Order: sequence, then C-alpha cells, then structure tokens
Amino acid sequence: MYVSKTGLAVIAAAYIAVPLVLGSNNYVMSLIVASMIIGGIALAWALLGNLGGMVSFGHSAFFGVGAYVSALLTMKTGMPVFAAMLLGGVGAVVASLVMLPVLRLKGPYFALAILAYAHIFKIIATEWSSVTGGSAGLASVPRFPELMGFDLSGKIGSYLIILTVLLAFVAAYRAIRASHYGIALRAMHDSEDATRVVGVNSTLLKALMLFVSAFMTGVVGAFNVHYINFLEPDYAFSGLWVTLPIVAAIFGGYRTILGPLVGAVTVYLVDQLIFKSLIPSGHQLVLGALLVAMIIFSPGGLMPLLRKDSRRKHAAA
Amino acid sequence: MLRLEDLSVRFGGLTAVNTVSLSVGSHEVVGLVGPNGAGKTTLFNAVSGLVKPSSGRILFDSVDMLRTPLHRRARMGIGRTFQVPQPMHELTVRENLIVAQRFGTGAVDARKIDEVLDFTDLTDKAERHAATELALTELKALEVAKALATNPKLLMLDEVLAGLETNGKRRFMGMLKELHEKFAVGILIIEHDIETISNLCHRVAVLNFGELIADGTPDEVFRDPEVMKSYTGASDA
Ligand SMILES: Nc1ncnc2c1ncn2[C@@H]1O[C@H](COP(=O)(O)OP(=O)(O)O)[C@@H](O)[C@H]1O
Ligand SMILES: [Mg+2]
Repeated sequence: MYVSKTGLAVIAAAYIAVPLVLGSNNYVMSLIVASMIIGGIALAWALLGNLGGMVSFGHSAFFGVGAYVSALLTMKTGMPVFAAMLLGGVGAVVASLVMLPVLRLKGPYFALAILAYAHIFKIIATEWSSVTGGSAGLASVPRFPELMGFDLSGKIGSYLIILTVLLAFVAAYRAIRASHYGIALRAMHDSEDATRVVGVNSTLLKALMLFVSAFMTGVVGAFNVHYINFLEPDYAFSGLWVTLPIVAAIFGGYRTILGPLVGAVTVYLVDQLIFKSLIPSGHQLVLGALLVAMIIFSPGGLMPLLRKDSRRKHAAA
Repeated sequence: MLRLEDLSVRFGGLTAVNTVSLSVGSHEVVGLVGPNGAGKTTLFNAVSGLVKPSSGRILFDSVDMLRTPLHRRARMGIGRTFQVPQPMHELTVRENLIVAQRFGTGAVDARKIDEVLDFTDLTDKAERHAATELALTELKALEVAKALATNPKLLMLDEVLAGLETNGKRRFMGMLKELHEKFAVGILIIEHDIETISNLCHRVAVLNFGELIADGTPDEVFRDPEVMKSYTGASDA
C-alpha cells in the first residue's frame, strides 16, 4: 500500500517522538490515549457514513458490546487479551446483525432505530447480572500483558497499542475504499437505482460496511476496557461514545479517512487542555460553537481546509 | 427470451401497465412505442426490478423474475438504459463500466472495457467525471456502455435517441445496428420516431394508456388506424 513521505514521517513521529517527548507526562499521555479512543470510533462511524451512506447514533452499542465480550472472555475463560479484543470486535458484528432490518430504513428513521437498538444492549448488560455483574459492573478486568519485558499496560504501552490499532483501521479503510466494493459504494450515494440495475446488491454492501464499522468500534471498546480495567453498563453504553466521535468526525471531515482521527485529537485535546481550564463548566459549549463554525465555513471539515491550504502554499512556492 | 404474461403495474388508482403480454426473442429487435405516459418506462422498470408488478408474470429464459432479486437480474442478462441518463455519480466513465462489469458479470476484464469504450466512442472520455463532464450524446452513450459492460442478453433502451441532433442521431443509430450483431443481444427499444423504428426493428408493440393495442411488423402496425390515431393524438399534444 502506498504511503507518502509525509505519512511515514507522521507515523515515525507518532511511534518514537511522542513517547520520548511526552511519555513521562502521565496526564498528557492519558489525554492523548482518550482522544485516540474517540478517534477510533470516529473513524469507524465515518466509514459507515462515507461508504455506507448511513448516519448512526447507535455506535455506543458496538463499543459497549466489544468491551463486555472482551472483558468477559479474559475473565471467565482466561483468554489472552489481544485475542479477546478481536473477538470483542466479532461480538459487535454479531450485535450489528440484529440491526440489519433497519438498513432498509432511510435517513432519520435509520438513525432513530439504531439508537433504540443501542439502548436494548444497555438493558441486557444491566439485567443479565449473573454474567455481566449487572449495574455494579465488572472490576479488575485484565490489563494488557508484558511483551518482551516491556509492560504494555502502562501509559506508553497502551498508547502504542491504540496507535497500532488505528493504523490498521486506516489501512483497512483505504483498502476497502479503493476496492470494487468501495467504488460501487461511492456510486450508490446519488445513483442507487443506476447502481442496482447493473447488478450491485446494495443492501449487502451496506450491511458489510455496518459489519466493518461495528467490528472496529467493538475493538476500540475492548481496548478501552483493558486500559481502564473496569466496566459498568452506564459507562460502557454511554451516549458520549457516539456523540463525541460524531463531533470529531464532522469537525475533521467525515468524507476523508484521516479527518475523523485528526478531528478527534484536535477537538479532544483543545477542549481538555484549553477550554476546560478557561471555562471549567460548560466548556463543551465552545466545541458546539466551533462545530457550527466549521460546518458553515468548511462543510467538508478540517481535512479539506488543511489540504487547500497546503495546495495554496505549493502554488505560491 | 423475455416473456411478459398479463403484466399489470398499478400506482394507487392509476394502472400504468394493464395486462400486457409481450415477448422478445433472443436475437430480436422489438420497438416499444406509444404516447407519453403510456407506461413504457414503467414496463422497463418492472422487468429490471425497480417497480413491483401488481399481477402477471415476467419470465426471462423461463425463470420467474418476480422471484429473482433485482441485483441478480443483471447477472442473468438483463441490461437497460435510463430515459434520463443516470451516470453513477462521483465516478469516472471507466469506473462506471468497471462497476457494471464487476457486479453485472462477476469478473473484471480490462480488455472488454476498452472494447466497450471504443465501441461507444467514449475512449477519449474514459477518465472524465461521468456526472459532470459529459455532453448529452456522451451521457446516452454511457448508458449503453454501462449496459453492455454487464454482458447482457437483452438490452432495454429507453429513448436513447431522443434529444440528439440529426448527426448524433445518425451515428447512434449506426452504433445500435452494429451492436445488435457484435454483442449478439436481443433489443427492446422505446422510441417515438416511426422511421427509426421501421429502420431498426423486426417487430413493434404499441402501448396506449397501459394497454397493448398492437404487436406486429412495423409495416402492419403503422398501417393500423387505431395506432396512428393514438400516435398523432400524442404528437399534437
Ligand atoms: N413511480 C411512480 N409512481 C407513481 N406513478 C408513476 C410512477 N412511475 C410512473 N408513473 C405514472 O405511470 C404512468 C406511465 O408512466 P411511464 O411509464 O413513465 O410512461 P412512458 O414511459 O410511456 O412515457 C404515468 O401516468 C406516470 O405518471
Ligand atoms: Mg418513458
């Protein structure tokens, strides 16, 4: 897969420079990891929106299911954490299967139906207490293991894990978008009938995008639970796991691959480091205002804005 | 190859297609004519699966199309064009054909795509953005090209010649004639111009208010006073 020089430099900086420079600052590292968790969901959410043409308010269900599946597998069967994380993603895909009927709904009806589904999973996690621990939740969920003497459960280790997960997502997203499925999905946006009559099974393709998006979100949920080591239904299925990513994705540009990640890191860090200290309560209001400004001045989000800017610079040079 | 048996399509109180029985043989070129609103496009939509018939049957190679999902009909060999060209948005001309071929046949064959591009005179425009950078003639050619890329046995053409100026029309006619031989397809074509139909078609079917009022050779059909009445009535309107 093609990676530009700038891309390689950013990846190298992310793996080496960030831990070296910021690694000793636990507070900043934890903010960065939190922003990357939001970024992972934002990327998965934007994939569904961009390729599948669907706006979901239900991604907290995938996040929560991924977290519960991975936590329970490691706790009850002793499965290694990384294997359980992948199965957490699979669990989220299974959860998305029950949402398939709503794929036929359009626009706001789809968004509302998927929101309702998300709530169902929270109720299950609360009521099925013999397995999930009910509303008291699960404590001491296993941490990330040691790898060749390096403890991955620390801030730096966790950061490297989520970084790797996000890079894998970016690679997968790029591969899907460039594939024949990706081209057909792009075509379906504005010309669904024309695309269907040449043999594209639009329902199947949308379902596949839902699965991919659910899988990614489930893996992020699983990462998070092993990172923080506890879980309860209100937390795991909190609406924040979908609203923050939506803000991040739209802010960064949901039609681009990197936009949601850049948006998440920018929005989260700016909010926590600057606005929160300026306006301790109600600082989210500033985010809302920023989002509105972005939608008005650059509907495509931050990424097109950055790119336009660099193009102008190239032209001037 | 295609057989419609007592096909009806109703939209609420409106019967757009009314108990039509019609067939198209595997190498036949059949014209479908009739005034605006007669139900011609709706008949195409029923065959390609975009609207659900209210009653009757659609058989393609003896397979019941009403039990065949829309997306599988292209694989079976049903290709069509849209009256108002519908290029796949966001894609280049070539990508339009790649999607049509990949999903309509199950495989990608770049040589065949080049051949279709060449045949439809779109080679120069292959990398252009289909929805925004094509002239009307090219959009109509792309409609035909997309259908050809799915390797059809039956090609349903919905007013592909309408709106073209005389030269473009003549070239397009030549292409349609050649296409019938080269790609060995049966054709069902909606067209208003009597001369064009007589020139191209082995048979003509006439729809009026959703009903089939004539079906025969162009000579027979265009001599029928009832047909000519519906015809002149429509073109005066
Ligand atoms: N999807 C639809 N819903 C409701 N009415 C329709 C629909 N499609 C076509 N019609 C109506 O059915 C009739 C036949 O239309 P159409 O098949 O487009 O005619 P033609 O192609 O012969 O000009 C018209 O009265 C049209 O308004
Ligand atoms: Mg019509």
